[in-house]
Amino acid sequence: MRGLALLLLVTSGLIGQPTLARPVSYAGGWTVVEESDRQSSSLFVHYSPASNWSIGPRVEVNRDADYALYSINPTWLAKRWFGSDYQANLYLHAGAGLAAGINQNPLEDDFAIQGGVMADWETRSLFVGYRSRYLDAGRFGDQFSHAARLGFAPYVGDTGDLHTWLMLEIDHRPEAKDTVTAAPVIRLFKGPLLLEAGYNLTAKQPLFNFTYRF
Amino acid sequence: MRLQINIVSIAVIALLSGTVAAQNANTQSQHSGHSPDSVDSDSAHAQHEQAGAGHHHEGHAGSPDGGVPEATDNIAMLTVTDAIEAALSKGGEPIVADVLGVVCDFCALAMNKIFGKRDEVAALYVDLDTKALSLVLKPGASLSNEAIADLAIQAGYRVADVRRGKEALGDVS
Repeated sequence: MRGLALLLLVTSGLIGQPTLARPVSYAGGWTVVEESDRQSSSLFVHYSPASNWSIGPRVEVNRDADYALYSINPTWLAKRWFGSDYQANLYLHAGAGLAAGINQNPLEDDFAIQGGVMADWETRSLFVGYRSRYLDAGRFGDQFSHAARLGFAPYVGDTGDLHTWLMLEIDHRPEAKDTVTAAPVIRLFKGPLLLEAGYNLTAKQPLFNFTYRF
Repeated sequence: MRLQINIVSIAVIALLSGTVAAQNANTQSQHSGHSPDSVDSDSAHAQHEQAGAGHHHEGHAGSPDGGVPEATDNIAMLTVTDAIEAALSKGGEPIVADVLGVVCDFCALAMNKIFGKRDEVAALYVDLDTKALSLVLKPGASLSNEAIADLAIQAGYRVADVRRGKEALGDVS
């Protein structure tokens, strides 16, 4: 099954990794992304050779299952819709690498793959986003998860201002203890730096994300 | 089963979607243009706020020849920052490009990075309020509309219209 999944991911052109804010940059741009949610923490650095794809290494620590993922994750901007007042995007993402136990986890290292879809629609004051991921970490197990976000900006800032967003993230993980959770999130965005802080009301876990683009 | 559903959904979406490359191939620019020395969002923004209300003229900005879903409703004029004012005083050509899809600072950053690398550009500013890229070229430099459209694509966006000279400064007479 894992081989079939990898074959399908590769042959369908899937590349990428779900991130919360623009996983593909301008041609020649670098982005550092840190994410931490109710289950895992990750660090992702990607480079965009062109404005429609990016690739980079990613490390993710699954705190619940005591394993780490070390992978290379490409992302493909499959479609961008442009308007004078909005932008919408459809991304396909994937990754392949190694899953390794941590914290005395006795399981041996194994091959891991992941892939999924991201989509968003954004104006300067409204945001709607969705992302999904299927992860097969070999003997560490597999997992499907997806999440949706709604957000609005209480004020509209101009170039270089501090932009503030208030968001609600609904997260569905069928195999988790809490299958559906909700997390209010505040996003602060200024220039190349984006910070997000939230709290998962269901799982009672903090959420913290950081993105820096250069 | 979940894997199958996920992969099928991804495959369907991929089939239904065009690629950005395909979009880019369809993009056509209308005019011609140039590139900047300095980009200072904060100081530029301060100047922009002072310049304030006089930036928009009611009317239609026009639309590109193909591939652009919407055109802007307002005609943006050159946003005057310190750097742009200095570049204008040296005799550089002013250019305003209406840019589609510019909604956040990452968008402005991308435009700044891509256009700021060009030797032709003396100063630039991306104005999120007017969704316009203001450029002033170095004296004697030139940058075609096609080049501006291509640079915008490298940044991940599309140019809907380009105005130059007096038209960029708001003098349409």
